[in-house]
Amino acid sequence: MGLGLVKWSRIKSPWILHFNSGACNACDIEVLAVLTPRFDVERFGMLLKGSPRHADIIVITGSVTRQIRDRLVRIYEQTPEPKFVLAVGNCAGTGGVFQQCYNVYEGVDKVIPVDVYVPGCPPRPEAIIHGVVKLLQKLQEAS
Amino acid sequence: MMREALGVVELLVFPGFLFLSWLALYFEWVDRKFYAKLQYRYGPLYTGPKGFLQPFADFVKLLAKEDIVPAAVDRFLFTLTPILMLALAFYALFYVPIVPMVRNVAFGAFEGDLILVIFVLTMVGFLKFLAGWGSTNRFSAVGAVRTAFQLLGYEIPLAVVLLTAGMGAGTLNISLIAQKVASNGILASALLPALAISIVCFQAELERIPFDIPEAEQEIVAGWLTEFSGRRLALFRFATDLELTLAAALTAALFLGGPYGPAIPLIPVQVSYFLWFMFKTTVIVMVLANIRALFARLRIDQMVHFSWRHLLIAAVAEAIFIQVLLAAGVIA
Repeated sequence: MGLGLVKWSRIKSPWILHFNSGACNACDIEVLAVLTPRFDVERFGMLLKGSPRHADIIVITGSVTRQIRDRLVRIYEQTPEPKFVLAVGNCAGTGGVFQQCYNVYEGVDKVIPVDVYVPGCPPRPEAIIHGVVKLLQKLQEAS
Repeated sequence: MMREALGVVELLVFPGFLFLSWLALYFEWVDRKFYAKLQYRYGPLYTGPKGFLQPFADFVKLLAKEDIVPAAVDRFLFTLTPILMLALAFYALFYVPIVPMVRNVAFGAFEGDLILVIFVLTMVGFLKFLAGWGSTNRFSAVGAVRTAFQLLGYEIPLAVVLLTAGMGAGTLNISLIAQKVASNGILASALLPALAISIVCFQAELERIPFDIPEAEQEIVAGWLTEFSGRRLALFRFATDLELTLAAALTAALFLGGPYGPAIPLIPVQVSYFLWFMFKTTVIVMVLANIRALFARLRIDQMVHFSWRHLLIAAVAEAIFIQVLLAAGVIA
């Protein structure tokens, strides 16, 4: 019962932190579209938070440049458990068009664990919401 | 014996801790929902009916999250401030008439409780400063200093304007002021400018747009709240909701008569208290949400400049106005 309540609250109140790890801004604009009135994810209890200490889901766009790697790891470590990572866009999934560049890590999962990948260049806001729903479903099914 | 039992119920259940907790979450919901409506959004929608359980879900989730204590923080302040802030917000609410049950006044009412509540409001602002300062984070420190600076701006006009209501009613007992205002139409209308000033001051006290300078997330992450996570953040958010409740209840009591109002026929007096209280406070919270949706953030110097140049002068003018009316015998 108690655990059921906690699980319910986690599914109903996913707060996100938006992190740009070297994206071209296209994915970021789509993430913002998710938060603004047209798609309004506050309907599902999602809020954008400024501090990683307040967040549950880190939404990462971009292909993780060498320069930002340490910052990304630090932000990930600053986020309290349970935390989840949503990699938005082709770059965050595989490095995208920056694959085999000398200065990128070719994907967020080379640096920190990722829960859900949302492909697209950039993915549409519906796709990002779908990714979050997949994440919450994983949470629902986990015991 | 019966009276004591009723007193315990009043302290713990209605309108005590349980009802106040519900009220705080209800006001957060009204605030978020109305704010969303003004922006052509829906706001929380799927958590309970119309998203009513959203603040509760946020609270439970934060309670169950990992509670990080960074190595550099002042552990004593980091632990003390959330608890003390919650306790103070609850404490002040027992002096504000909400739904009087046993006696016809608030649970802890005594002559001079207005001074006590003003003191608690200042203490809450000061605790925010200590919380940010104890975090030893550069963003927290900037937010904390801004909180303290902002406190200098809004605190004096707020105190002047709250005491003006006391002057007009001839008492410093919040419940008696509310009764007097509810029964005296001339006093209530003379206090309308004071109502407007107090709403602006409470907007600053609650650190909401346009006075959310201490937690400006585009500049300083989350201000004095930056380092808090898990349980501590849950307590802070809950304390902020209670502060919103306190602001709405206090404004309603001092300037609109709080729970007292014209008797509604065919229902017990306590039910009419409840209906009047909910009506007045909900309207005040909606006005606060409307201000939040209308404005953009001010700079800290603009805020302090505005408070001292305009707000304080308006508050003092209102106090003089009430004194003149009292001297002329207009307010009986």
